[in-house]
Amino acid sequence: MKRRLFLSSAILAAFAVILTSILVTGAVHQIFQTSMKREVAAEATYLCAGFEEYGADYLNRLHLKHDHRITIIDPQGVVQFDSKGKPETMENHRDRPEVQNAWQSGSGEASRVSATLREETYYYAILMQDGSVFRLASSTQSLLAAYDDLFWLVVLIVLFGCGLAALLSMLFTRTIVKPLHRIDLDAPEKNASYEEIAPLLSRIQHQKHQISLQRQELDHQRLQFAALTEHMNEGLIVLDREGTVLSCNKSALRLLSIHLSSTVGLHMLSLHRGQRFRDALQQAMQGESAADVLELDGRYCQCFISPVREEETVLGIMVILMDVTERQEREKLRREFTANVSHELKTPLTAISGYAELMMNGVARPEDVPEFSHSIYEESQRLIALVRDLMFLSRLEEGLAPPRERVNLLTLSQRVAAALDSKAKRVSVSVSVTGEALEVDGISSVLQEMLYNLLDNAIQYNRPGGSATISLRQEGEDVLLQVSDTGIGIPKTEQSRIFERFYRVDKSHNRTIEGTGLGLAIVKHGAALHHAQLELQSDAHGTCFTLRFFGAESSNTTI
Amino acid sequence: MRNRFDKQLDTLHTSLIHMGALCEDIIANAAKALLDGDELFCQKAVVIEDEINLLERDIEQMCVRLLLHEQPVARDLRRITAAQKMITDMERIGDQGLDIAELSKFMLGSPVKSDIHIADMARATIKMVTDSIDSFVHSDLEEAIAVIAYDDVVDDLFDKIKKELVDQILKDNRMAGDCLDLLMIAKYFERIGDHAQNIAEWVHYSLTGSRDADLSGISP
Repeated sequence: MKRRLFLSSAILAAFAVILTSILVTGAVHQIFQTSMKREVAAEATYLCAGFEEYGADYLNRLHLKHDHRITIIDPQGVVQFDSKGKPETMENHRDRPEVQNAWQSGSGEASRVSATLREETYYYAILMQDGSVFRLASSTQSLLAAYDDLFWLVVLIVLFGCGLAALLSMLFTRTIVKPLHRIDLDAPEKNASYEEIAPLLSRIQHQKHQISLQRQELDHQRLQFAALTEHMNEGLIVLDREGTVLSCNKSALRLLSIHLSSTVGLHMLSLHRGQRFRDALQQAMQGESAADVLELDGRYCQCFISPVREEETVLGIMVILMDVTERQEREKLRREFTANVSHELKTPLTAISGYAELMMNGVARPEDVPEFSHSIYEESQRLIALVRDLMFLSRLEEGLAPPRERVNLLTLSQRVAAALDSKAKRVSVSVSVTGEALEVDGISSVLQEMLYNLLDNAIQYNRPGGSATISLRQEGEDVLLQVSDTGIGIPKTEQSRIFERFYRVDKSHNRTIEGTGLGLAIVKHGAALHHAQLELQSDAHGTCFTLRFFGAESSNTTI
Repeated sequence: MRNRFDKQLDTLHTSLIHMGALCEDIIANAAKALLDGDELFCQKAVVIEDEINLLERDIEQMCVRLLLHEQPVARDLRRITAAQKMITDMERIGDQGLDIAELSKFMLGSPVKSDIHIADMARATIKMVTDSIDSFVHSDLEEAIAVIAYDDVVDDLFDKIKKELVDQILKDNRMAGDCLDLLMIAKYFERIGDHAQNIAEWVHYSLTGSRDADLSGISP
């Protein structure tokens, strides 16, 4: 702006100065010439009169100024006298226009420019009485010469003008721009400035408004997104195409056990650099989704890495992490269970099939047949018991609950103790039932099965001469049922696992100890069905299972 | 606006993490080759070692280019010089990891392994390498110092294994060859521990400007 203003004003100044100089000089020259002509004409008249009165002597006595010259020309045009130069050497002046005019009208004038163009000579001629012509010449500078002399002056003035223009343009720019500088762009509408820029300001105001609206919307969306992702259970990490973290939620940090406050801007490898993860990431960067299960400090983490693509180019990468430790463990348990069931089912079947084959082929001696059939019977009983337990357990798991009733635990315990009496006698273990006749809300068949399994274990894993006791008592609102024995106990390390199906402390699959391996699993599920708490205390001197049935009254009173 | 130099430094950092991760892989594979006696892990170790060597050359060139073109000063200069030294250590870890894997081939099914604390040594060394890389990745000064202090554990384990092997040879000299192989493997693990310590020291250097860590009050 300053530059443009300066240039235009400088050009204007130069142009004005030059034009003015030309015109003024021309005009002044013109005026000067006119007055000079008038003076020369007047002088010539006086001198002519003097010459006619006093003759040539008069002229010789005159002190003429150097630019004046007097010439006398006779009627033939021959120069008779000249104040500068010798008349003999001069040519005939008959054809000079001023002389011609003087002859015709008594006076004549003419201007001639010298050969160098620098001088202009003005001639004024008067016809005298004797027919000769008196001529006065005056040399002056020509217009061109005047210009020539003035040239440097003009240049000087132009330069001065340009300087002035620069100064003025600077000043102008400053004064024009000052209000513009003072405009508060944060509130453009409130500025009283040039009205020319008012539309611009209102436009800025409008756009500012729009930008702030859009920003609010973006902030809102970002907050929403952050709130959603922060509270996700799954880890979510967003990466750009080079693998730099753009956002990462808390769950992801927790799963990867990273304790940094901010991970934005770090490379994904800073968070996890396992080989399988690297491979999957590489695959995603090339535009293919990848999934893998990572092992992180003993936990399993399913990760999905998928590229975000627009046509062929990968814009970014999404990483989703899920804790699948429980799933993996359940999977392991399920596999173990299947393997166990198959094994438990196969063992008696192999025995049955073997005995049957011996008898079928007639290899068995007749006296062995009763023994074989006894074994077959035993093994099939075992199979039946196993299948019955499995069905019972799956019924319990599915939660198919028969209607509940008031069950007297004491009579139930006595019934179970009676049923196991013969077995107890066989291994010389004394069984006793003590306590009050207490009732709980429950399913009689399930409770009986639970008690049977607990007491069966108490007898089976006992020492000869030991005892197994079922005791019942009331503790506040709760009913406590304890099955204790004086047996071999359960090692601490195994206590958490004994409720698993087919789990045996003695891993040798020892056939001398009977049972399906499902007993305690049934107890556990049965207890859950009755909302009863199952506790276990065990040491080398015996084991005590406690079932705590929470009082029905208490549940009523809490309502 | 991040300039080109910062971006290049980030790339260098990422490449170093990658190389560190490869070191972890190779030593994990070497340990598996030794303890599980599976030759598959040995083959994997060969592949990883090649990768480590290539990456070392890449990073070396990257460092020289950065030093020449950008003429970094202060912290950036320390980071780059530390990187130059670190890749040498990482490359040595790769070499020794491969050596362990190759020695393991001769020990397939040898019963000596189970009596000696070599599994503990492998675990301790892997932990050291992982922690040293972690300290680099997270610029964690405390972790770097802990790694430097932990080297004593690995050294002690080496002495213990040496004694156990001597006893083993005195007891039953038919296994002497295997015992010597195992001694070499233990030595390689011990060397890997030293390199991990070096890496931690370079992390310490790039963060503080001094290689000597103050170990007082740190118990491994």
